[in-house]
This record gives sequence, C-alpha cells and structure tokens, in this order.
Amino acid sequence: MTTILTNPLRVGLRQERVISPQCLVIFGASGDLTHRKLVPALFELFRQRRLPSEFAVLGCARRPWSDEEFRQRMQEALADEIAEHHSSWESFSQGLFYESVDLQRPEDLVRLGHRLETIDRLRATRGNRTFYLSVSPEFYGSGCRALAAAGLLADADRSRVVIEKPFGRDYGSAQELNRVVQSCAKESQVFRIDHYLGKETVQNILVLRFANTIFEPLWNRNYIANVQITAAETVGVEERAGYYESSGALRDMVQNHLTQMLALTAMEPPGRFDSESIRNEKAKVLQSAHLANEDEPWKCCVRGQYGPGGSRSRPLTGYRQEPGVDPNSTTETYVAMKLFINNWRWQGVPFYLRTGKRLPKRLSEVVLTFRKAPVHLFDAASGAPTPNQLILRIQPDEGAEIKFEVKAPGSGMRSRPVDMAFSYDESFGEPSDEGYVRLLADAMLGDPTLYTRSDEVEAAWRLYTPLLELIEDAPWQLPVHNYEARTWGPPAADNLLADDGLIWRRP
Amino acid sequence: MSAQLTLQAPLALPPTEVSPYLNRLWQDSLEGSTGATTFTLLVWEPAWLEQHLVRCGRLQGPITGLLGDDLLDAARQAVADCDLPPSTAPMDPQLAWALGRQGGDHASEDLRGRFVDSAISAHTPRRLITLAPTLDDGLPLETLVAAYRPLPEEGGAGSACGDVVVLRGGMEALRQGLGMIRPLVSQELPCWVWWNSSLDEPPEMLDALAPPPCRLVIDTSLGQPRRCLEVLVQRIGTGQAVNDLNWLRLRSWRESLAMVFDPPSRRDALNHVVQLDIDVEGSHPVKGLLLAAWIADRLGWHLVTSYHQADPGSGDHGIAAEFERTDGTTVTFRLMEVPVGITKVHPGAIMGLRLICEPEQRPPLCVILCSESGGCMRLESGGMASMELAEEVVPLPEEHEEQEMATLLGGGHDSTNPLLAAAAPLAAALLPD
Repeated sequence: MTTILTNPLRVGLRQERVISPQCLVIFGASGDLTHRKLVPALFELFRQRRLPSEFAVLGCARRPWSDEEFRQRMQEALADEIAEHHSSWESFSQGLFYESVDLQRPEDLVRLGHRLETIDRLRATRGNRTFYLSVSPEFYGSGCRALAAAGLLADADRSRVVIEKPFGRDYGSAQELNRVVQSCAKESQVFRIDHYLGKETVQNILVLRFANTIFEPLWNRNYIANVQITAAETVGVEERAGYYESSGALRDMVQNHLTQMLALTAMEPPGRFDSESIRNEKAKVLQSAHLANEDEPWKCCVRGQYGPGGSRSRPLTGYRQEPGVDPNSTTETYVAMKLFINNWRWQGVPFYLRTGKRLPKRLSEVVLTFRKAPVHLFDAASGAPTPNQLILRIQPDEGAEIKFEVKAPGSGMRSRPVDMAFSYDESFGEPSDEGYVRLLADAMLGDPTLYTRSDEVEAAWRLYTPLLELIEDAPWQLPVHNYEARTWGPPAADNLLADDGLIWRRP
Repeated sequence: MSAQLTLQAPLALPPTEVSPYLNRLWQDSLEGSTGATTFTLLVWEPAWLEQHLVRCGRLQGPITGLLGDDLLDAARQAVADCDLPPSTAPMDPQLAWALGRQGGDHASEDLRGRFVDSAISAHTPRRLITLAPTLDDGLPLETLVAAYRPLPEEGGAGSACGDVVVLRGGMEALRQGLGMIRPLVSQELPCWVWWNSSLDEPPEMLDALAPPPCRLVIDTSLGQPRRCLEVLVQRIGTGQAVNDLNWLRLRSWRESLAMVFDPPSRRDALNHVVQLDIDVEGSHPVKGLLLAAWIADRLGWHLVTSYHQADPGSGDHGIAAEFERTDGTTVTFRLMEVPVGITKVHPGAIMGLRLICEPEQRPPLCVILCSESGGCMRLESGGMASMELAEEVVPLPEEHEEQEMATLLGGGHDSTNPLLAAAAPLAAALLPD
C-alpha cells in the first residue's frame, strides 16, 4: 500500500467558524447512531479545535446509566480513535454527561431542565442548547411536544432541535409531523437531517455548477439529453431488517438521498449563498418535478428485490432469506424510475434515478449526458460518436469526469472517447470529514443550509405519492422483480431506459 | 459603509452616568429585549491619518474611523505631497506623522464609534465601546451612549441587540476615563479588544485596555517592525488570545502555497527545499518574515543565522538567513524590500515568493507565487530553465480592516491561532538586530 505523505503546509489552514458555547442533548444516546456517528463526530470537532471550551454533551435515554458509565461506553466504542489521541479524549470526555430520560414522562423533562441548568453553571454553556432526536421516528412529534411543554424550546435564539430521517412515511404524515414540529418551535429552530448533504462531494455539486462559468451555460435542456442519478450499495439489508421491511428502497434512499442529489443537480442558481436562498431553489425545483407518467406510474418505475447470488465460494443469500425478513416479503431493495421537471430549464429532459442493495459496486454518482453533435463529420472508432458526459462521483473515488471525443492516433480522422478526470484524492490527498461532522457543526452554529426545510420534505414526499399509493393500493401493478445479488438490478430496469433508446451507465 | 441603526440619537452623558444609564436602558426602555449574547468589542480608534487628512483639508468629513476609498485616495496623494518615498503605503504611520507637521485647521463632525461596518454589525456585538482620541490633547472627555440593532438586511430586523458607548477626548482625558471601561465589559461574554492603530503608540494604553483574557486584535504592519514583533510575541507568551490582521492577510499566500503541494505527487519535494525568497513592498519586512517563519515552522527548519543584506544589483535592502533542515541540509532565505510605485493599503505587502526544491532523482522544482497586482520578474530570473516550474498568481486579499475584523469575530477564536503562535517567535528571531 502506498503511504501518502501529509501536506505540512495544509495543516491548520482552514478558517472554520467556531461553535458558540452550548450543550448538545442527544435523545437516544444508548443507540447505535450515538456511538457510531454522533460522538465520533463531536470528538473530531473537538480535535479540530472547533468546539469551545464551554461545551457539553448530555446523553439521554431510558437506560439508567451514570455519567461515568456513559463516558465508559463511548470510550469503548471509540477505542481506535482514542488510542491515537488519548489526552484529547481525557479533556473531551469531561464534557460528557448522561441523564436517564423517557421523553413520554413530563416529570423526566422537568428533571432534564434542572440538569441542563446545572450543566450551564458547570460548563458555562449559557443556556444555549441543541436537542438531537436520535430516537425511533414515531417519537419525533411527541419528543418535540415534550420539549416544548417543558419550555426547552421557548428561546428561539438559544435552542434548536435536530430530527433524524425519515421525516414521515408519506406526504400526509410528513405534513402532520411538520405541523406538530412547527407548533413546538420556529422553522429556524428545526434541523431535518439528511446525512448525504454532509458529504463534501454532494456540496461540490453546488460549487461545480455555480463557481464555474463553463458548466452553467450548458446546464439545461438545450444541451443535456438526460440525467442519471445512481446510489448503489453492495451490502444487503444487514441488521436493519426490522426497519427496512417497513420502508424499502423508495423510502430509505430515494425520497431523501437521491432526491437531494436531484435537487442540487437541477435547482436554479440561488441569488446568494445563504440558507434560505438555497433552500428556496431546492424546494422550487422539487415542486416542479413529477413522475414521467403520474397517471400510470407503473410505466415509469421498476421495483426489484435481490435474490441469492454471489459465487460458489462466497454465496450471498437473497433478501427473503435474510434474518428478520418475511419469507414472502414484497419490500423493494431496488428501485429505478424516470422523472421530469416542468420548468424552462429542464422541460423534456428525463431524469433517471436508481438505487439498490446488493449491486455489483458501492457508488453514488450523477451523470449528465449531453446531446449528440448535430453532424457527424468523422468516423467513430466505436461505430458512432459517444455523447459527452459529465460524471460527478459522489462516492467512492470522489471527483468528476468529463467524457469527450478526440482524434484517435493514426493517419485517418477517426474519433474515440477519452476521459478527463478530477480526483479529490489526487488533487488534495486528504480525507474529508464524515458527513455528521459538518452537519452537527452546522446545527450547533444555527446554519440550516444543509438541512431540509419543511416545504422541501413535503415536496419530496409529494413527488413519490403516486408510487406510494400504488404500492399501497394495487401492488400487483408495480411488481417486485427478482434480481440476482451482485448484478445491476432486474432487466425491467434496463427496459425502462431501452424504451427511450438509452442504457444505464455501467460505472 | 453603512450606518449603525441606533434606536435613539446617541446621548451625551457625564462619564459617571454611563453605567447606571445603560442598566436603566435595558431594564426599562428596552424591556423584553435581553440583548445579544455575543461579545463586547472594545476599539482603540485614533484614526490619526483620517483626522490629519480632514484637518489639512485633504478629506471631507465626517470622521468615521472607517477605511473608505476617499480616505485611501487622499492618503496616496498625501504621500507624494509630503515627499515620502513612493513605496510608503497609505496606512503607514509615517504618513500620519508627516501630515501632523503640515498646517490646517479644518473641522468636521466626529462620528467615530457611531458608524460600524455592516460586516461587523452583522455579528451583533452586545456592546461596542469606542475610544476616540482627538488631535487636540486638551479636549475633555465626552461620553455618548445609544442602543442599536443592525439594519434589517443584516439580519437585524427585531429588537435591540446591543448598545454603543463612545469615549472621546484628548489623550489625557481618555487616560482618566479608563476606569469606567472595566465595569462596562461583561464578565459573562467574550471581550475583543481591537487596537486599530500603530503599535508604536505608548504601551500603557494598550496594557490598560487589553489585559488577558481579552481577545486582542493588532496589526503588525503598523509600527516599527521590531516593536510589532515584540508586542506580538510578548502577548502570545502570556497565553492571551492574540489575532494579527497582518497575519490574517497572509491567508491567500499560505493557501496558495499549500495548494501547490496538495497533489500527493508533489509533497516529497517539501522535504528537499534549498532556497526560499520573498519580496515585499517598501521597507516593512514583518509580513514577509511571518510568511517565512510559517514555512520554516511547518517544514521543521531550524534557524542558524540571519543578517541584513543589500542586493548587489539593485541596492535594495533585505534580510538573509540560513536554516537547517531536519536532514542537516542548509536552506537559504532572502527577503528583499522592493521599491514600488503604487503600494497596497498596508505596509510590507508580499509581492512574490519563490521556493526551490531539489528532490532526489527528480528534476528540481521551482515554485513561484506572484501577487495579482504585480509581476515577479525578479524572482523569475536566475537560471531556472532546467527546473520544473510551478507558478501561481495569488489573489489580492480583502484589505479593509472592518472586513478582516468581521472574519475574526465570525471565527470566535478564544485562543491564538497555533500557526501564528509558532511562527511569531521565529519571525522575531529572523529580524536581525
């Protein structure tokens, strides 16, 4: 393995905003997310000197842990990171506290309020609080109500609430949840998280589009023939069968992650780089998006479910054979669909979205395929000239790539496609922060730019309502096609594009 | 420039009445508004240059303490009229001193402390205290007080978020008024002290205004180089959070140089640097020394010696030094003070940087960074034909103090930047006696 030398001139150059004194309260602190993502992200922020000394984390869950027990559990979970930064952990862990709280019990919330006041005095956190609801989705509404009833969201300037995904199960439940949340707190206090937006490369879509003059003039129906957005996973359902059986790929990936990539790819340029301008444009483009055939949605969507596959030496079980999955399950692990966006920029340009588990590669990408040259002057080595493509690689091997035709060497005038590639690794060689590092910091800074606003969430759910209703009311019209594990999904998904004379990119 | 939107006309009060008045203001008149829980910003705002330009009739008033284009135009014109070297930057304290010897008695309204750049007011300071010494040493102490909120377009639509206190008068009167400042600084909020003047001014005032743990903001381009570096090193040494606007202005140079070595294929070259050259405008080397010190610190070089040197060709003055790399190889360093026709706003702006690396079994690499506003032909000469050449143009930094100050306030740092803390003593050591 090649060792990459660090760039000593790069160390410490980033001018980061510093979070103001505050206490981060995590509900669901005994859950996976806390020790796998949240506390590691906070520890990273601490090591980057982005947390003030007046900072505390208060873990809350029903389990009767003590502060010390909470610290111990976090220490065990972060053993690898701590081994290299032991003294930092010693200092950071002094700010970790725990309180046993059941969000459904008002007396617990009163006790929580007193505990927060004690922490304010102990750590000088000045009554500034961020509440993180890392609890089961059915408790999002009641959790907000409980916080509001205890007066913990009363100060709009000094309290915020972060809500994990999924935000609702469909358009109606998202509307209802928004209504509840907004009755408890101002919209400026509410941070609906989608960790995909914390990814450097997702944010780079905005920079690539709006910091360069070479792309934006081409970024429309006059030059772009179609857009493909893919989020492929190699893993199966793993230990998430309980959740996944009730959600499926459409709710788990498309409504949030893929839709966010769609919004960033298709949105109009914001007037300025601030949270409201950006979220206005994202909401507007999602409100303009619709399934390619809303009256007959089965014609523009394909669902799939992985079956057994793999090799003889490493066989992979099918979805229905996974632990915790109903043997007759009709939950989709793959979904592909075609959308249109009804506005001047994108009228008539198909957007193809696909996501699935147990696909051959783990990757996320946005591929913009440009229209063909109007006249073919040259012979093409591959029979016909390949359309130009701009490929934004979200993960892994983050970067961008442009495909274009050049003259093939030799005496004739034959053209052939080549790639011009940009790689984050080759250009920067530094790992980027985990998405939660950025998003947690933003929430504590009160910056909602990378969080989803209520109208965005509702627009995203409304976009897929015809599909969700179809799955609910007439599932036989949108059958779940079987596909072999570690293949690119069911053949029906290929037909979706073949009808338009296209094929999915095989990355 | 945008005016601070005060809720009331600033009220002149006797100094002893200021604290009680502010208490009453928040308890009674602004009931329901608790004010921003942000910070106190204490500004030493002599604006000597602006005051002299106005007094000499070279600039229309009012005196605001803000660095506007009119002021810079008038200052550049005054450089020529005062027979100062063309390389004298508009903000060079020598210019204010030279103007001080010129006649004139034009008067103008003094609005220092009542105009705050929108970049700063957008951070909603809880209390802005401005000390505004006047040219006339004999003037008594005046104190002005008002509540304020930022303009709506700065996010300030709503209730009052802070208050403004201005102390104005002759130096002696201000000294006598120092006692009233501490009670005005909330112990519960961070306090920033911005020394918006030359570091050559009498140290007693700086000591009185900015004791630790106040977060001090200075500008090491303003004042005698030795004195600037001494203040910087001494203050950092006390553990105080020190921010240097001159260091902040190096950001684009540090970033541009780091960018050259971002591709992993280039990084090994950093272990094989043999020569570093930096050109600065005029005769103020501190910025160049800080840049060199940062590079030396990051690359682990050890300073062996430094001395004054004149360029045999041009006669320009400079500083030379030798470092030792971790592998014992010598790195030579030259800083040349280059005369220019039109300077940037602050003394000692960087014109160019050249870094020569000689990696093993690869062709030498020569990195040249040029300022956006001028060429760097001097650094491009000297037989680099056989080297791999990496040239970049460094964008001009935003040089308005208010913008720089807003950047600091936005960062909210409660300790000295560790890169500055490491570079400052080395920069001081690089400056020969």
